[in-house]
Amino acid sequence: MSRIGVFVCHCGENISRTVDVEQVAKAAGEIPGVAYSCDYKYMCSDPGQTLLKKAVAEHKLDGVLVAACSPRMHEKTFRKAAEAAGLNPYLCEMANIREHCSWVHEDRGMATAKAKDIVKLMVERVRKGKSLAPITVPVTKRALVIGGGIAGIQAALDIADAGHKVVLVERDPSIGGHMAQLSETFPTLDCSQCIMTPKMVDVANHPNITLFTYSEIEKVEGYIGNFQVTVKHKARSVDEKKCTGCGVCMTKCPKKKIPNEFDQGHGMRPAIYVPFPQAVPNTPVIDRENCTMFQSGKCGVCAKVCGPGAVDYEQKDTFTVEDVGAIVVATGFKLYTIDRKPEGSPIQGYGEFGYGTIPDIIDGMTFERLASASGPTGGKILRPSDGKEPKQVVFIQCVGSRAREKGISYCSKVCCMYTAKHTMLYHHKVHDGQAYVFFMDARTPGKGYDEFWRRAVEEEEAVYIRGMVSRMYQRGDKIVVMGSDIQVGTQVEIEADLVVLATAVQPQDGADLLAQKLGISYDKYNFYSEAHAKLKPVECATAGIYLAGACQGPKDIPDTVSQASAAAAKVMTLFAKDQLERDPVVAKVNEKYCVGCFACKKVCAYGAIEEKEIRDRQGNLVKKVAYVNPGVCGGCGTCQATCPSKSIELDGYTDEQIMAMIEAL
Amino acid sequence: MNAKASKTHVTCIEPAYYEAITEAIRKEAVQILKDETVVGVVGYLPGRRKGTASPALVTTAEEAGKLIFSPACVNNLSVYLTKAKKGVLKKGKVGIVAKGCDMRALAGLITESQLQREELFIIGVVCPGVYGFGAERTGTLTEANIARKCRECSVHLPDGADVAAGTHTELADLTPEEAEEMARIEAMPQAERWAFWKEHFSRCIRCMACRQVCPFCYCEQCLCDKNRPQAVESSPRPAGNMAWHLVRAMHLAGRCGGCAECERVCPMDIPLNLLNRRMAKELKELYDFEAGLNPVEKGPLNQYKEDDDQSFIK
Amino acid sequence: MHAETKQHDFEPKIVAFVCTWCTYAGADLAGTSRMQYPSNVRVLKFPCTGRIDPVFILRAFQKGADGVLVSGCHPGDCHYMAGNFHARRRFAAFRALLSFVGVDLNRLQFSWVSAAEGGKWVDVVTELTERVRTMGPMPEFKELEHEEQWSTFAGASADKVLNSPELKEAYDSIG
Repeated sequence: MSRIGVFVCHCGENISRTVDVEQVAKAAGEIPGVAYSCDYKYMCSDPGQTLLKKAVAEHKLDGVLVAACSPRMHEKTFRKAAEAAGLNPYLCEMANIREHCSWVHEDRGMATAKAKDIVKLMVERVRKGKSLAPITVPVTKRALVIGGGIAGIQAALDIADAGHKVVLVERDPSIGGHMAQLSETFPTLDCSQCIMTPKMVDVANHPNITLFTYSEIEKVEGYIGNFQVTVKHKARSVDEKKCTGCGVCMTKCPKKKIPNEFDQGHGMRPAIYVPFPQAVPNTPVIDRENCTMFQSGKCGVCAKVCGPGAVDYEQKDTFTVEDVGAIVVATGFKLYTIDRKPEGSPIQGYGEFGYGTIPDIIDGMTFERLASASGPTGGKILRPSDGKEPKQVVFIQCVGSRAREKGISYCSKVCCMYTAKHTMLYHHKVHDGQAYVFFMDARTPGKGYDEFWRRAVEEEEAVYIRGMVSRMYQRGDKIVVMGSDIQVGTQVEIEADLVVLATAVQPQDGADLLAQKLGISYDKYNFYSEAHAKLKPVECATAGIYLAGACQGPKDIPDTVSQASAAAAKVMTLFAKDQLERDPVVAKVNEKYCVGCFACKKVCAYGAIEEKEIRDRQGNLVKKVAYVNPGVCGGCGTCQATCPSKSIELDGYTDEQIMAMIEAL
Repeated sequence: MNAKASKTHVTCIEPAYYEAITEAIRKEAVQILKDETVVGVVGYLPGRRKGTASPALVTTAEEAGKLIFSPACVNNLSVYLTKAKKGVLKKGKVGIVAKGCDMRALAGLITESQLQREELFIIGVVCPGVYGFGAERTGTLTEANIARKCRECSVHLPDGADVAAGTHTELADLTPEEAEEMARIEAMPQAERWAFWKEHFSRCIRCMACRQVCPFCYCEQCLCDKNRPQAVESSPRPAGNMAWHLVRAMHLAGRCGGCAECERVCPMDIPLNLLNRRMAKELKELYDFEAGLNPVEKGPLNQYKEDDDQSFIK
Repeated sequence: MHAETKQHDFEPKIVAFVCTWCTYAGADLAGTSRMQYPSNVRVLKFPCTGRIDPVFILRAFQKGADGVLVSGCHPGDCHYMAGNFHARRRFAAFRALLSFVGVDLNRLQFSWVSAAEGGKWVDVVTELTERVRTMGPMPEFKELEHEEQWSTFAGASADKVLNSPELKEAYDSIG
């Protein structure tokens, strides 16, 4: 007979308000094999845990069930407590009577009955549970960072400074990301490139960092401590080893009128190019779609003028496999750029704003380039259509963000602050100009942020209009902005020379595809999901993968850098030990009964199952059976459901446990 | 032998046809035993009673000369190559006489690593059909005594065998009784379907003959014999019987080759092959899978496509 | 103060087999969002829908479930990469089998509920519970549980089974 202890938590009043916890404890005590049961106000508190530990000793308990919140919340807490009391942690389970019961049902009688049932099921699970010992696996102390924006750069530098090797992979020809595009940064108005480019150079020069630009993640295999990542190196058409970065090819390239992505399409670049002058690495790439040589086979100027002979039209995509122990995902964001509803997208466009059709309606990032000294206008605010200096500029906040009916309900977090910054930059550069801002609220939490915003309103003469814009259209060379001012309660019509939309921050294109390669989860917008909103904000649910920056949700630079350093710290924690302890929830084969049909091997997504030969003493082959590599097994249990004779079994979720629970229904 | 050259439709198949196959099998079996290609041949010998045949393993040329093929050769011989205690394969390569439906089982067993093609010498039979259970055994196969499964046979030709014995001949105008029965059951109201199967399964005495004869029931320990935990009640009561037959149908889904041996040996006349045919039909419709004569890499339930049908999932 | 939910004549027993990463987390989210749904459902947590064996569903029905829900991650979101894809095929086949033997598939629901879909969890559970409530208790498997095989001899089908005079005589002599 087992001696199980059942501890029913009140969770303050969170559970006891709708569930009669005393009754649940009493009913639990009557289940055969339950040696002790009680209820307590806060089981997770120190006294609560002490209560559990004491009970284990006093009542010689051989299994523990805590009926409280979700195991996703406190399973670790109680397993630790059970372990401290001398029990195997896997003999401690939680019955979820809060999230799955007291919080979702109002009827006290029904909720109490359900709580009793949940406890009854889980007691069976504890009863049939087995002691499990953690699995140790070696750790490759080399990290992969995906994305070379400020998040990726910060994480890579931190890990590299701690003495570990880092592979940094960037999709574009240069690292730098969006921060390199910005003009000046809030709330200090220091020049973005001035603080960014030195870090980029640090990355390039760091002995511990291997930088792969113009490269993408092709495939991810393995598991925490032991990932094998296939990186695709897209053909640059320029040999990185030979190129000296002199730039003659770019000046001689006859095709110079290609809109520059870095300048949001407002500056021009040649077909062989670096995205911006401070690019790292300073090695050009050939944009094959726009290159005359690739399109018609005639030209070859860049190859002729290249002294070191670095231009190579024959170059092919290559692949390398990188062994790493941890992965930091820092793929950043893109701006919402939809002028009308794209096919199949749940996100509605803003057709009524004329974005994409009226040239002088631009987004915030384009304004950054116009305001940047390295931008297409040399830092002068000139409007795209005719190059004139705009005298009236309208800024519109929350374009796309916080618009549930349009498909995005979240706040993009950075727009209030950067719009305030834009009005200031504008005021500094066009002294006789007037900036108007349409806004819903001004959200300025952050050190020095509200002071900054107030300065824009109170000292820099930006006119803030609380209200929404309904429509914009071209009248002569002006854009008529029609909106409402809800504080005055009136319609507003402004004739603007330039309109700047603070469009929503969205995950990068293909974020979902990368997530699927990595095996990490993402929300309905494709932002990557952290393991816990508060307590594990940088970890993914998939062990060994960490998040940094706006790929997880909209973030400003300080938050991004903090998270990147946090992710780096997590990687360092992992790398601090030579061996890693893994959750022992893995499959095991019963070699006696396995007949070697290898259905398990066919369905295993991890490639964890191998064929093992069983031989007799004379060395004759008796049979072949399946063998599970515990370091590779992910613990999904698909093999067990597939095995006809159930000769493979997932520890922690055995048929015996599950059947016992079903029997108790 | 050029089995594919012609195909004849007749109203009855005379003993002479089977005698020709018998001759071909004997010739081949004697040859491969003599030249030591194989250590034995699994085939059919005449049964003690007239008009019957029994499975046999012959190891000498002399015995091989007595092998036969007749409409009484109903057994699926592949089962003798897998079940633990009958492992003739240990000694070397084995010859086996196989009808089309038996070859599907062989292919499945190779897919599931239970056999290797190199271990086998397959003497394929161009089979026009065998006797149905309890049918009159006149030596001649007709519409009246052919087995139900043979009425819908699509594997008369043993493609992929090492040699094929016989010329392609089929009985003409056979009604697909099994398909009709399946359609009849599917057309029943749900409660009637339940009643139909409940009546059948309730009769089951759990003799396990269906399991014993099935080439795919090669597990060393059947899930249904396990008692920790007991997933399926093992005594012959209606609840356990229902569970047993559902579990078996599920385990055979995507594997069963349609030899219908389970149904043939069932002492309680439960139409077991109907369940297997129904599953095969579903897997054909959903995933375009059909048990074939040649091994495949993965069965339909051991693989997936990202765009598989999920209209039933909310 | 507790709102009293309205009383029903029949409270169906609903069993949910869910994966831990998506649907269990989705149900947690419904909890943290304080959404309300019928209390009939009992949740059994699995690492992945790939772990869920059709036998479990069968057993749940035998043990008195009136409705069963199987729910996991959306395709492509599986924490274990492909468990839900395998489950999808397995359950497509199992449904066909159950339907063929006469089980009403309205009692067996499959769904994808992600960790972000607390609302969908509530919808799925509520819909299944209310549907099964209107259908009434599931008699089929429960009846089987209580039946003895030989009891059928006393019934109308006895003649069918006792198809030889010897058997009939033997049976009558037990009397």
